Amino acid sequence: MTRFLTILYALLAFVGVLTGQPVAAQNQAVDAIHSLIEQAEPGSVVHVPPGVYEGNLVIDKPIILEGGDQAIIDGLGQGSVVEIRAEGCTFRGFLVRNSASGVDREPSGIRVLAGNSTIENNRLEDVLFGIDLQNAPNSKVLNNEILGKDLGLARRGDGLRLWWSLGCTIKGNTVKGLRDMVFWYSEDLDVSDNRVSDSRYGLHFMYSHHTSVHDNNLSENAVGIYLMYSNTIDISHNTIRNNRGVSGYGIGLKDCDSITISSNALLANRVGIYVDNSPSAYDSTGLISDNMVAFNEIGLLATPITHNNIITHNAFLENEEQAAAHGGGNLSLNSFASDGIGNFWSDYAGYDKDGDGIGDIIHEPKSLFRSLIAREPNLRLFVHSPAQQAIELTARALPELNPKPIFVDPTPLTRVPDLTLPSDGQTTTGAPMGVLAVVLLTIACGSGWLVFRQQPFPNVLPTKVSHTIGRGRA
Amino acid sequence: MTTMAVQPGRTESGAHLSRIGCILAFARREFRDAVSSRWFLLYTIAFTVLAVAVSFMSLAGSGSQGFAGFGRTTAGLLNLIMLVVPLMALIAGAGSIAGERERGTLLYVLAQPVSRVEVLLGKYVGLAAALCCSMCIGFGLSAGALAWRAGSVGIGAYVMLIVLTCGLALAMLSVGMLLSVVSRRSGVATGLGLFAWLVLVFLSDLGLMAGTIIFKLRVQEIFALGIANPLQAFKMAVIVNMNASLDVLGPVGMYASQTYGRTLPWLLASVLVIWAIVPLLIALIVFKKRGSI
Amino acid sequence: MIQVFHVTKAFQRVVAVDDLSFELEQGGSLALWGSNGAGKTTMIRCLLGVFPFRGSVTVKGIDVKKHGKQARSFIGYVPQELAFHDDARLGASILFFARLRKVGREDAAVALDAVGLRGHERKRVRDLSGGMKQRLALAVALLADPPIIVLDEPTSNLDASGRGEVVESLARLRDAGKTLVFASHRPDEVVSLAERVIMMERGKLIRDTTPSKLWPAYAPVQTIRLYLSEGTDESAAAVLREAGHAVNLNGHGLCVSVSRNRKAEPVAVLAKASIIVRDFEVLEDIPADGNAGSEDLT
Repeated sequence: MTRFLTILYALLAFVGVLTGQPVAAQNQAVDAIHSLIEQAEPGSVVHVPPGVYEGNLVIDKPIILEGGDQAIIDGLGQGSVVEIRAEGCTFRGFLVRNSASGVDREPSGIRVLAGNSTIENNRLEDVLFGIDLQNAPNSKVLNNEILGKDLGLARRGDGLRLWWSLGCTIKGNTVKGLRDMVFWYSEDLDVSDNRVSDSRYGLHFMYSHHTSVHDNNLSENAVGIYLMYSNTIDISHNTIRNNRGVSGYGIGLKDCDSITISSNALLANRVGIYVDNSPSAYDSTGLISDNMVAFNEIGLLATPITHNNIITHNAFLENEEQAAAHGGGNLSLNSFASDGIGNFWSDYAGYDKDGDGIGDIIHEPKSLFRSLIAREPNLRLFVHSPAQQAIELTARALPELNPKPIFVDPTPLTRVPDLTLPSDGQTTTGAPMGVLAVVLLTIACGSGWLVFRQQPFPNVLPTKVSHTIGRGRA
Repeated sequence: MTTMAVQPGRTESGAHLSRIGCILAFARREFRDAVSSRWFLLYTIAFTVLAVAVSFMSLAGSGSQGFAGFGRTTAGLLNLIMLVVPLMALIAGAGSIAGERERGTLLYVLAQPVSRVEVLLGKYVGLAAALCCSMCIGFGLSAGALAWRAGSVGIGAYVMLIVLTCGLALAMLSVGMLLSVVSRRSGVATGLGLFAWLVLVFLSDLGLMAGTIIFKLRVQEIFALGIANPLQAFKMAVIVNMNASLDVLGPVGMYASQTYGRTLPWLLASVLVIWAIVPLLIALIVFKKRGSI
Repeated sequence: MIQVFHVTKAFQRVVAVDDLSFELEQGGSLALWGSNGAGKTTMIRCLLGVFPFRGSVTVKGIDVKKHGKQARSFIGYVPQELAFHDDARLGASILFFARLRKVGREDAAVALDAVGLRGHERKRVRDLSGGMKQRLALAVALLADPPIIVLDEPTSNLDASGRGEVVESLARLRDAGKTLVFASHRPDEVVSLAERVIMMERGKLIRDTTPSKLWPAYAPVQTIRLYLSEGTDESAAAVLREAGHAVNLNGHGLCVSVSRNRKAEPVAVLAKASIIVRDFEVLEDIPADGNAGSEDLT
């Protein structure tokens, strides 16, 4: 057997020598790639042979650098691993790893300093910042996978950052365990099909306007999407789940105008949608429609000054608190229906006599306990407890205790609207749960059987009767 | 005294075995009695029906996309558990000793070669097993509903919920047995049990809410007072287990998460353990010292 | 076997047992005699060590206060009224006590056999007659064959025939060498069973004496064995029971317990029913004369 293996290795080595490809790649300096680039014509394709290349790669010529998914560039923990300085480069199919970890020079896996770049199908590991585009307009960042260093949230860098980069396409990237996917001063973007998890902000827009954000999947981050001072943004068909940081917004808006939020699934976040002073311009409106807002602590949270939002045809399903005003007050400056179409509220207690799917009485939720919480936030400790129910019941019995409603939906829907939502991707089998059910029932029945089983009383021969005590009339 | 004195306590291990044998005999009888009693059947059916209903309602309308908030089911179950389980355990515990005393059966068993500690522990073990079985049925059928409609999301947390609920039941049973030991008649014991239920489930929370508003208690004070109540500790433990933090519970919860971090679940669980042990210990001492029959 | 030193037990302000002392040898039989409220029951409970009291009680040299569990393992206890869970079945009940006494199912079966309750295992306790309950209690008391039997008014809830049965059973146990302690307020029981009587009044020992000194002229119970024609045992037993006698059927013949001064009565009853008595024999001969008994068993 061993002899056979030896022969096999020898053969392989021989083949390797013939083809000029190293079998077991020796680590070499990244200068090997530099010299390949130097020899290449601008605009040509440069294939980098498989192997590990150590050092910091700088691309200063417009070429197409092809890693073929087998070239590894290792920054050895020094600075940024790859830096693109020439316009119109393509960087494709590499594993990029091991940037510096000190935050001061913002070391990145791939730093792009020129426009019309394409960063595609790379995998980044152990990098402080992932892909960093600075003044790189009309670039494309496609299908990269970015994994961060194992650092505390405060010491991490951004997974993907755009800085003054207009007209970019960010599509199909996966970011896990970094800080933000953040867009600064960058307009006309297409941000779609990205997956961000275990990070701080899934998508973060600062002063970035005219953008379409769709079909992204943002889960287990502190915040799903956060927009600040960014206008005309269309957020649709995103799945935003389980973002439960301190603020924990599924989607948060601060001072943003002309925002459309539609057909998103906002599930199990601390707050589904948070609106702070958006729209901020007096004549602007925001539209929140066709979203599934379910299982969040608070479905919709807005500051009381928030106005001019139209909230229609959404499903607010089983949120612990369906809609609330941040810091007390109410949401009366917004309208919860448009053209006679309101929203579905799972706690709606009215009826629909004519069966047109619209409730015949308005929905104006009042909760004494909520209003108490608004006054004394510490009382939130007592949610999910029977005492809370007791307070609500008391308030129902004594109408004079009833607080003002937080909002009014004049035409609530009585059926969950048919929403075209992104597919969740989480299909789980019920098998383990089924096994658990069986185990539990077996425990219950088994112990019952153990205790109750009837054993026939033993038959004893009369000779064994040792102390007859006088036979009664049996 | 002419006969040779028999040395007390033949061998250590023999004595232990005999002890465990007696406890198990009482446990078995108590389990039988509990399971065949009407109250137990009633509570089990109520708990099971409600648990399954809550599971279904939480799943309804969430579509086939697997949104099915396991968390939502748990939140719904939480309220139900906090109402029904303490009631069940307190009443079961309250009836245990006082009921036997009233029927005169307590004297008869105490006249057998058993110790009072064995009687009380045996009853505790038997009732605890009966309660846990009752909950296994409720949770089991509920798990069946979840498996059918929602898959297995959060199965770990669900198992922890079951464990914690059993812990809550043990704690409440322990309180109930203490009440049973100190009251002469089973009617009184049941009344005390109901009162304890009212206090633990409603009055202490409402009182603490009033205190929070009136005295402007600080978060650490509210937290300390809050977890003294086993029901609050249970609730927080379930939420920590589900969300990995207590932020849901507002400033007090955030304080708790920040201050205790990873030790928080242990802290909360140990509150339940303390409530399961201390009242039972007091009950043992009272039962032994008072010698009431 | 049993030593009682200065036992005092008070409930709140009522002193139920007041400085009581006595000793009892192995195989002895002792009656605690007195009216209701004299403290008999409390004394018995002290003996069992089921609650705290002042003074000391030792059973086979073991202090019941310190090692109550072990002391009680030498004692079979029969309460005034059997206190089983009403819903429980007879078989399950006795098995429970068998477990507490560390004896097997076979022994439980033997004990049931001995009191003639085999075949009733599936009956619920609440469906048992008073006599059956008392026999069940006896069976429980005898489970591990303890050397001492302690009884608290063992016949108070029984009718005459049931009483005769129990008294006869106890007499056999005494004769088999068991140490017997029982509380009673019925002179006939005391005379039939006890060698010694402790008279109690308001918790105090008034007299420590023998039944024959206490009631010199009392007619004790005697058991007569009747020898009948083949095959008439069953019908004879029925007739005698009808007439209110305590009847006991076993392999050797038919036994009737009657007061000493009425020994001929069963024969007369049977004669009236045309059942022929071939012979009879007095099983126990308690030396006592006179026939002035004002109370009797029937």
